[in-house]
Amino acid sequence: PAEVLGPGGETELADSVSSCRVLVVGAGGIGCELLKNLVLTGFKNIEVIDLDTIDVSNLNRQFLFQKKHVGKSKAQVAKESVLQFCPEANITAYHDSIMNPDYNVEFFKNFMLVMNALDNRAARNHVNRMCLAANIPLIESGTAGYLGQVTVIKKGLTECYECQPKPTQKTFPGCTIRNTPSEPIHCIVWAKYLYNQLFGEEDADQEVSPDTADPEASWDPAQTAARAGASNQDGDIKRVSTKDWARSTGYDPVKIFNKLFKDDIMYLLTMDKLWKKRKAPQPLDWAVVQEMAYIQEEVSGQGLRDQQVLGVKGYAQLFCNSVETLRSQLAEKGEGAQLVWDKDDPPAMDFVTAAANLRMHVFSMNMKSRFDVKSMAGNIIPAIATTNAVIAGLIVLEALKILSGDLEQCRTVFLNKQPNPRKKLLVPCALDPPNTNCYVCASKPEVTVKLNVHKTLVQSLQDKILKEKFGMVAPDVQIEDGKGTILISSEEGETDANNSKCLSEFGIRNGSRLQVDDFLQDYTLLVNLLHCEDLEKDVEFEVVGDAPDKAPPAPNVPEEDKNIANGNQDSALPSTSSKVPIEKDDVLIVDSDEEPSSSTMEAAVEMGGVKRKLEDVETGGAGSKRKRLFELPINDDDIIALD
Amino acid sequence: VIHKQIVSIPDTVISEEEAAQYDRQIRLWGLDAQKRLRGSHVLLVGLRGLGAEVAKNLILAGVKGLTLLDHEEVTEESCRAQFLIPVGSEGQNRAQASLERAQYLNPMVDVKADTEPVESKPDEFFLQFDAVCLTGCPRDLMIRIDQICSQKNVKVFCGDVFGYHGYMFSNLGPEHHYVEEKLKAVKPSEGTSDGPDTKKPKVDPSETTMVKKTASFCSLKEALEIDWTSEKAKASLKRTPADYFLLQVLLKFRTDKGRDPQPSSFADDSTILRQIRDDVLEAQGLASDLIPDEFVSYCFSEMAPVCAVVGGVLGQEIVKALSQRDAPHRNFFFFDGLKGSGVVDYFATK
Repeated sequence: PAEVLGPGGETELADSVSSCRVLVVGAGGIGCELLKNLVLTGFKNIEVIDLDTIDVSNLNRQFLFQKKHVGKSKAQVAKESVLQFCPEANITAYHDSIMNPDYNVEFFKNFMLVMNALDNRAARNHVNRMCLAANIPLIESGTAGYLGQVTVIKKGLTECYECQPKPTQKTFPGCTIRNTPSEPIHCIVWAKYLYNQLFGEEDADQEVSPDTADPEASWDPAQTAARAGASNQDGDIKRVSTKDWARSTGYDPVKIFNKLFKDDIMYLLTMDKLWKKRKAPQPLDWAVVQEMAYIQEEVSGQGLRDQQVLGVKGYAQLFCNSVETLRSQLAEKGEGAQLVWDKDDPPAMDFVTAAANLRMHVFSMNMKSRFDVKSMAGNIIPAIATTNAVIAGLIVLEALKILSGDLEQCRTVFLNKQPNPRKKLLVPCALDPPNTNCYVCASKPEVTVKLNVHKTLVQSLQDKILKEKFGMVAPDVQIEDGKGTILISSEEGETDANNSKCLSEFGIRNGSRLQVDDFLQDYTLLVNLLHCEDLEKDVEFEVVGDAPDKAPPAPNVPEEDKNIANGNQDSALPSTSSKVPIEKDDVLIVDSDEEPSSSTMEAAVEMGGVKRKLEDVETGGAGSKRKRLFELPINDDDIIALD
Repeated sequence: VIHKQIVSIPDTVISEEEAAQYDRQIRLWGLDAQKRLRGSHVLLVGLRGLGAEVAKNLILAGVKGLTLLDHEEVTEESCRAQFLIPVGSEGQNRAQASLERAQYLNPMVDVKADTEPVESKPDEFFLQFDAVCLTGCPRDLMIRIDQICSQKNVKVFCGDVFGYHGYMFSNLGPEHHYVEEKLKAVKPSEGTSDGPDTKKPKVDPSETTMVKKTASFCSLKEALEIDWTSEKAKASLKRTPADYFLLQVLLKFRTDKGRDPQPSSFADDSTILRQIRDDVLEAQGLASDLIPDEFVSYCFSEMAPVCAVVGGVLGQEIVKALSQRDAPHRNFFFFDGLKGSGVVDYFATK
């Protein structure tokens, strides 16, 4: 390999490189490139971990894999491929999740350096904490499309991954999804909810029927109450669960079609205030649709089949066919079975494509091809080899600085699509010191959370607040009530009885404090609780100090499944995949997790919220401006405005 | 200048296999771009560290054909310098030894090995390609090939890595046509009274339009033979990356010694490098501190991570040029691996 020489031709760095042990977390897009760079640079002792298996869509960039490897463990095959051109490398591969408690602080302490090649926030948060606990330098990175970013995290010296709040995944209010969609994405989210309601795990936060309690719908509060009361008495929409109703029809596609696209729409039309300033939806009747002609395809087959946009009749047919297929799938699985949505499962994808498009048509939106729906429904991040190659090269260069003991030379480096006004395509920026108020790396981290103690369940506290929001894997919670009452124990089963109770039942009220520990992460967080009765609709809690637009997600934000066994969990919410142009020179990288199918997890760029200095450190310049950036740019030019 | 339309879109259908494999990149650069790539033939000269990276990137992108040209033999050292050559290939031709693993990267690409020295190739040889990428070539050879290719609108790329430093150069001809994707947006219409809560059906925020553009490029000769003693050139010196001059020094070393600086003769080569630096800067009336003495420490060998960065940028530039999509970088890219900075700048005599 190219020899790594010091200024006088010395070989200390080369010796350090060949003797140290390093950990690579992830063997996908960045991981493959990184492993190759590491061995060619002379690193000899490498451990690599990845829970995923190889999918055909990986092969355009994860070059250590070939078609014959599809279905196999990424970490394992990556190791074997590398040994082909560097047999003397000592590589250990783990087909496992880094969040498995086996990989404790002692495990991390084996390494001089950890390099992330991940695609999701939960794992990044976790590795961040483990490296802080073990006091090991961490090189963090991410890519999306043409953009990429690398940075170095060192306890006490730099910001940790969680020092700056990251934007939470974009969510839509329930009434937008259920009553007044105005964009295709709203219809796609609705269609995914529908899939779950009909075939999967029913979730109270994923209602698809008209929302009678929509505040916009009523002329006065009394009317809202009356409306809500009326439907309860009728026992229709709200009473019977969607799944039960569907079962009662034998999953008859025509009946389901008419309920969703005709009856429910007609109900929405009675909520006339909604349509004062909006275009009213137009119901579809199955019989009427059958009278329509199929749209003749103009494209002669030069395009991808999936990129065709069918007509209403075409999507109605697709809806019908996919319902029937899914019905059989469900029947095959037996009593009490549930399906899990997977973008790579054709009938599941067909169903969402059809349902979303029918709803788009009802609400006067242009329909979308399966290709486009898949992008949005599956949170697919476009990805290419070259971006990953560049970022992985930068990672190793940072690693060399760390091994030389030159931490002050380390930088955050951004890769842009086009050069900035100062001609830079690759922009290095100085690292920031730790945030003294960071709720992870501060010496005694503390946060304040607003919630309703009479409504928040212990289960919600654990799942939505401590795990999802605060990134803990196995929290233990004590109430600071002088008695050390244990609210939640990470030991299985110990505190299950508490889960369905409200916080107030344990004497928790305004001003109560909780001590929360995650022993695996060696992390203790003091949580101050403020009782609040007027949080926004759909908002269950608020972290004080987060800016309003970064308020915690609405209750319906499932994170990716931490269970690695074929993690087929639906991340039902869209990523901020809309292309919003931003100022030239600013790059942003947002957490846009693609959902894991049984076979793939795409690399997502995930370092949103990183401050971006417009002046780089070398030239100084008129002070550095700090910005928080949250949109993922597709191009950084101006919008063209049309009339 | 004869305008050869680069790659008319073949009238073929994208197969299911290609659609599945290229899905994530089709979602980025579109089907048209992928089809153009699919019809392109590229010549890659030099299969050292940088060459291997470019080969990988082009093969994964899905060009129609890639010819790997290198007349050198695999040595014990070069075996560990790139990831396409399997161990035990000492004595074999470098291009030949790289062929199998290169082909495995993507069986849909037609990968060939050519073992002849590039100097011995007749002019017509280069004209059968849509793009030519030269790595590890001496300056005069690059200039000559660039001139041959320009006649027939063959896109020319050059690149090298010297230690922590690397560059790429491109000449896409005087009139390179490409498209850029821009977002559409609708101005809010006047007229209807909008309440604060109004949510009108918006124009789909993901609708875009393609805008046609043109860029012009000068020859390599022109880019390298700038006279820095002129007043105009002196004025622009402050904004000029020093890497440009470092490149001149390293290319001169390569011409004079017939090889690049090597660690086994570190002391002697360092002395020669400093001397060349002095000569080059003096001839142009430039201060010798433009390239500080320490530079010698950081330009030996091809550093693998630097090959990855330069190879990534270079590979993507070739993809952009062949697919005629997105603005190309004009006309140099310099990477400094010590600073982590990558700069694009245009050098031309006029």
